[in-house]
Amino acid sequence: MIAVLMGASMVSGLMTVTNGIEEKLALEFRKFGSNILVIPKSDTIEVGFPGMSFGSITEQRYIDESDLWKIKKIDNWSANVLGFAPLLYQVVQIEQNGISQNVVLTGTYFDREFPNIVFNDKVWRTGIKRIAPYWSLEGNWIEDTDNKSLIAGISVAEKLNLKIDDQITLNYENPDTRETFTDQFKVAGIVSTGGSEDAQLFMTLSTAQKISNRPGKVHSIQVSALCVACPAELMGEEIEMKLPYVRAKTVKNLVNTEMIIMNQLGKMMLLITLVVLGASGMGVMTTTMTTVIERRKEIGLMKSIGAENSKIASIFLAESIVIGVVGGLSGYLLGNVLAQYIGESVFGTQISPVLSILPITVGISIFVTVFASILPVKRATLIEPAIILRGE
Amino acid sequence: MTRDQILLKSVTKYYDPLTRALNNINLNISKGEWSTIIGPSGSGKTTLLNLMSGLDNLTSGTIIVNDTNITGMDQKLLTKFRRENMGLIFQQYHLIPYLNALENVTIAQYFHSKVDEAAAREALERVGLGHRLEHRPSQLSGGEQQRVCIARSLINKPEIIFLDEPTGNLDMKNGEIVLGILKELVSEGHTLVMVTHNIDIAKQSGRIIKLVDGEVSFDSSIEENYDPILKLEMTRASEVINDE
Repeated sequence: MIAVLMGASMVSGLMTVTNGIEEKLALEFRKFGSNILVIPKSDTIEVGFPGMSFGSITEQRYIDESDLWKIKKIDNWSANVLGFAPLLYQVVQIEQNGISQNVVLTGTYFDREFPNIVFNDKVWRTGIKRIAPYWSLEGNWIEDTDNKSLIAGISVAEKLNLKIDDQITLNYENPDTRETFTDQFKVAGIVSTGGSEDAQLFMTLSTAQKISNRPGKVHSIQVSALCVACPAELMGEEIEMKLPYVRAKTVKNLVNTEMIIMNQLGKMMLLITLVVLGASGMGVMTTTMTTVIERRKEIGLMKSIGAENSKIASIFLAESIVIGVVGGLSGYLLGNVLAQYIGESVFGTQISPVLSILPITVGISIFVTVFASILPVKRATLIEPAIILRGE
Repeated sequence: MTRDQILLKSVTKYYDPLTRALNNINLNISKGEWSTIIGPSGSGKTTLLNLMSGLDNLTSGTIIVNDTNITGMDQKLLTKFRRENMGLIFQQYHLIPYLNALENVTIAQYFHSKVDEAAAREALERVGLGHRLEHRPSQLSGGEQQRVCIARSLINKPEIIFLDEPTGNLDMKNGEIVLGILKELVSEGHTLVMVTHNIDIAKQSGRIIKLVDGEVSFDSSIEENYDPILKLEMTRASEVINDE
């Protein structure tokens, strides 16, 4: 019984830990950024003569800002959309300390509230602050209503010798209308990501739209999706169904890394579980074999008074099933305690019990006890009553 | 004419090539007969009983019980045949220690067909244990345990009952109770084959068969030997038993 209890508790505990840690790991992965990029579909026109191509022209299209909320309202994987950030780019010129420099200005949400979306009883919020927790920011984030501040990438800040709270002049000339825009902005923060963001400026989407005269438009959306076993492609398809004029691309590398680590974790847990089950099975077999030897006189007697081998086997197998059920049930409970302990001491997190693991644990326990009893039961059926009753 | 219920033809049993337990035994036991097998220790009494009841395999010869040749019979069929035709009573009782008296009787029903608790109670009441149904073997005296064993052997209404030293571990009072039950069984038409060391009990059976070194040295059913030799053999048997 103890062998079954230990085996079942390890199965239950490791399955619960695996289940819980996969979710936690997926959340941890989201710290490394978004895993779906949404861009508008573009028409491409081939340029050239018959038989000779000079390349292609792609018409610039935008995503309507008014459609963004639909991403959180996809049909099946809505709960897995952790957040998104729209992005609108333009090249601007900035002047500071007598230096003039062209840089990419990106308009986005930082932590915008969506009053019409309630998730987990809270008004839903999203923005770059939520989907890119890996950003290292010196200074402050910008409120989504603040149209006089910006965040500078670390490369830009170093080149122009920018400091927090500096005022910088920003110039923009609309390439279509030739209209110019000039204004002063405060440097609220300096961000370091180790990526292309270091060479950009960030401000609220509405301000960026106003500067470039593209109200309600965004170039792309970065979506952060929580995926265990990663249905990122499915989520992308659902986004495309909600917004038929966009393409949703999964960021393959991140998804693949995530899947590889999840698979390796799963394999490791499976291996440990198999080893524990094997040890448990050996324990059960040894115990059952000992029981058969101890009860050989009883078995011999039963045979002498008319018990067929099938009856003898059924008695031992019924006992194995009962031990499997009781061991499985208690192992599930003990396994949850074990999972909590592993979760807190190894991964520093709480792991919730998973009820669906209960029937699996009980089923595996029954299988192990019955399987481990086959050899001892076979031995029991070979006992000769005359020898046993003679006292040999 | 009384038919032969158990027929042994040239039965020989070797435990290993050098250990011969029985040699060329020829016996016929009639229906309703009470036969007793006596003989010194190691003479092959229990071996003969085990062969007749199908608990052990013989080396050569033939055993026919109720017109069925049980020699070399498939174990499954033999088990079925045994539970339908035979009851077994052991000197050591062989009760299952964690079951009470009633359960020890019903388990034989369970292996036979279906459990009928009322019949099991009745069997225990018949052997005078109606008030000890819930007691486990450790809570019963030797005589009571033997009576549970008798009730268990009777529960499936077998025609033949094999008894191996049924009173061997009992005091005189309990021995007499058991003997009384055996007489009732014979009067009801059961065939009894009993191994015993007790010559007084043996004398109460209808037939005495004596084994010496695995061979029948005396059979009281052979008329011409009966009067003059019986007394002598009985005396010798008593001497042998008293010597042991």
